[in-house]
Amino acid sequence: MRSLALRLARPATPALLIGVALWAWAAHALWASTVPAPLHLPHLDESRYFSASFLERSGSYQRFLDVLGLFAWAVLLGVLAMYARRGHRLMRESAAGRIGTGMLLGMLGFALVWLAEVPFGLVAVWWERRHGVSHQAYVTWLIGSFLSLGSEFLFISMALAVAMALAGVLRRWWWVVATPIFIGLALLFTFVGPYLVPDTSSPHDPRLLSDARALERSEGVGDTRVRVQEAHRYTSAPNAESTGFGSTRTVILWDTLLDGRFNHREIRLVMAHELGHLANNDALERVGWLALFLIPATGLIAFLTRSRGGLARPEAVPVAILVMVALQLLATPLFNIVSRRQESAADWAALNATHEPATDRALMRRLTITSLGAPDPQGWAYALYGTHPSAMQRIAMAYAWERSGRAAGR
Amino acid sequence: MMSEAGDRDSAVNERPVRLNVSDDLQRGRASVFFRFLLALPFLIWLAIWSVAAFFAAIFNWAVTLVRGRPDRHLHGFLARYVRYATHVYAFFNLAAEPFPGVGGRPGYPIDLEIDPPARQNRWSVVFRLVLAVPALLLATVLLGSTNSPGRYLSRTGSYGIGLLGVAAFLAWFFAVARGRMPRGLRDLIAYALSYGAQLWAYLLVLTDRYPSSDPLTAIGPLPIRDDPVQLDVNDDQRRSRLTVFFRLLLALPHLIWLTLWGIVALLAAIVNWVATLVAGASPQFLHRFLAAYVRYQLHVVAYLYLIGNPFPGFTGTEGSYPIELRVADRARQNRWSVLFRLLLALPAFLLASVYGSFVFMVAVLGWFAALFTGRMPLGLRNAGALALRYSAQTYGYLFLVTGAYPYSGPCLTPRPAAPAPSVPEPTALPPAA
Repeated sequence: MRSLALRLARPATPALLIGVALWAWAAHALWASTVPAPLHLPHLDESRYFSASFLERSGSYQRFLDVLGLFAWAVLLGVLAMYARRGHRLMRESAAGRIGTGMLLGMLGFALVWLAEVPFGLVAVWWERRHGVSHQAYVTWLIGSFLSLGSEFLFISMALAVAMALAGVLRRWWWVVATPIFIGLALLFTFVGPYLVPDTSSPHDPRLLSDARALERSEGVGDTRVRVQEAHRYTSAPNAESTGFGSTRTVILWDTLLDGRFNHREIRLVMAHELGHLANNDALERVGWLALFLIPATGLIAFLTRSRGGLARPEAVPVAILVMVALQLLATPLFNIVSRRQESAADWAALNATHEPATDRALMRRLTITSLGAPDPQGWAYALYGTHPSAMQRIAMAYAWERSGRAAGR
Repeated sequence: MMSEAGDRDSAVNERPVRLNVSDDLQRGRASVFFRFLLALPFLIWLAIWSVAAFFAAIFNWAVTLVRGRPDRHLHGFLARYVRYATHVYAFFNLAAEPFPGVGGRPGYPIDLEIDPPARQNRWSVVFRLVLAVPALLLATVLLGSTNSPGRYLSRTGSYGIGLLGVAAFLAWFFAVARGRMPRGLRDLIAYALSYGAQLWAYLLVLTDRYPSSDPLTAIGPLPIRDDPVQLDVNDDQRRSRLTVFFRLLLALPHLIWLTLWGIVALLAAIVNWVATLVAGASPQFLHRFLAAYVRYQLHVVAYLYLIGNPFPGFTGTEGSYPIELRVADRARQNRWSVLFRLLLALPAFLLASVYGSFVFMVAVLGWFAALFTGRMPLGLRNAGALALRYSAQTYGYLFLVTGAYPYSGPCLTPRPAAPAPSVPEPTALPPAA
């Protein structure tokens, strides 16, 4: 008891408590949603909306991918654990100073992970091709995957350069300064993100633009760019995304959404959903959540790399990568909860803007069928991979909106 | 580039196909001016001879496959054909002055010696054409798609006249103006011809020794040069397979940093140009800054193209990399040469750009070799180092780090002297190099 009292009396303890309180307050503020609470969604029977053969097919399709994903995670952690033990031996491949060597070790860690995960990626492509969800050639996927590793290398190099340079000066407190820098960089990349998306062009259909303008007014969003991305070369699955904030707000529609399978009202609903994200400032909110994750994560990295001399030493980099990736994996279910909450809010905003719950239900059904998604996934898969509410939850939400509208006399 | 002259000589003598250079560099201006027309009859005669050589080569391939060694008469005929082709191309590309005759007799200033028939590995004979593909690819860049046997691989002729053609093109102007051939360009052409001759000898089954791309052992004695910008190679050829596989991506942070540094270096070079024009020599800090940039560029490109193995540092510090650039202290420079530096550097840049294609091909071939064997072949490493040295000298010349024009041919460097104790910076500058 006495030692506990002594510990609590340390000057750092009140600072820590204040930090935890601030963290909790920020998390509470970010948790706020535009979906009216309490909104009790009834559990719908998926067999009323999807045929038995589809449910069987999508179930087997998703189960395979879900299990494959678990194996990929296990291999990822295994490779990084081994790299954390032995990775420092690769320092002999560097003629650079400590920061350059640290960057090399960081990149090589990701390179090993890529090598270990290539078989899983290829199997996933095979599975998607087999089910007609993707028609991407294996070589194209392999080359694309290899080249996308380049952006990961740049990202990890930049992060390590910042962290190691600060660690050289601030020693164990580097993370206190590094975290705001990382958050600033995340904000910067979120802001310029729309300009980094490849293969986009303006929509050819003028109706899309006029719809976008009308929806912007309805949802209270300022001027937004609408772009169409050429995705048909890789997949037949339809999708859309919103990206950027402020003057770079952009809605990106995949051209697979505009290939004639979806009617005008459905496409309008998708746009309304994406504009809902922009109206709710979800991109900034995501940066906020990232900040809340980074603050303890970088502190933990600083703590756990002490045994290797701290992050100022390149030997500590493999350990830092392992800790970072493990924390990310642990936080994935939590991030998914946040993501699903944002998606629900965007759905709600789209319903408010379009007043088309029947179209929404039809769209959700059609999106599920074209992407061979599981309408009501298993609990563990939903927690680990579910970045969006399930199709059944989204259909139920459309019903809920209808009911609340009747109650409000809409 | 390399200091072990004894090892080099023994490596030259060990080759079954050896190029001997006894050319005195003197050229007749009229002969050079009309060289293309003068060479035409020889090229036509060579083309006729090629038809006979083609059928002889097929016979020779079959005989070697059956008996395990080439037929003496066929070998003699084909060896003479390869020797004659070397004479004609040496004459055509200005590497030699006298008419090459019609019979491929020994004694020409750029001459070829080919060992008598020897036993060959039958598997290597069966798959000779397939095995020759990497060498053909390199020859396409070195000799050009018109001069090389590699033209059969490249329908588009995208490499055009290659390193050999560009060297001959530049040498033509020099030789017409000065009546003599620059040693560097002559040796570069001889190196290309040596590689071409080895490749032909390999393809025609005269030998089963794979063509060596090592410029240091391609021709006879090489000059020992103490250029103000020179290359030291302390690489052990060992390569990490992991970093070789991901080399392009691993170099990305360096390429971005190099681009950013390059923007500043360009601005600094402009300031340096004005300052050197006024003062007659670069300011010390600009000299140091630009030398570090050129050195860093060399480190990065050496890493990217597998000429060096370790991941380089980001500062271009001297002595930090196995493929190292030694840059002499600043020296006085001729102001006229400074004034027209950009114009004067154009021929060097033309050659450097073809050297760039060459080192790219070296890297592609070296990537496969290093990935499978864990080592960079010596020939490819040295060929790449030659290209990088020329590129570094060109940038050094352009950025006024030195007033010495880039030396285009292979050469040896004296061993670096022991580092002198640091002394205060001298106020008087040494004379121009």
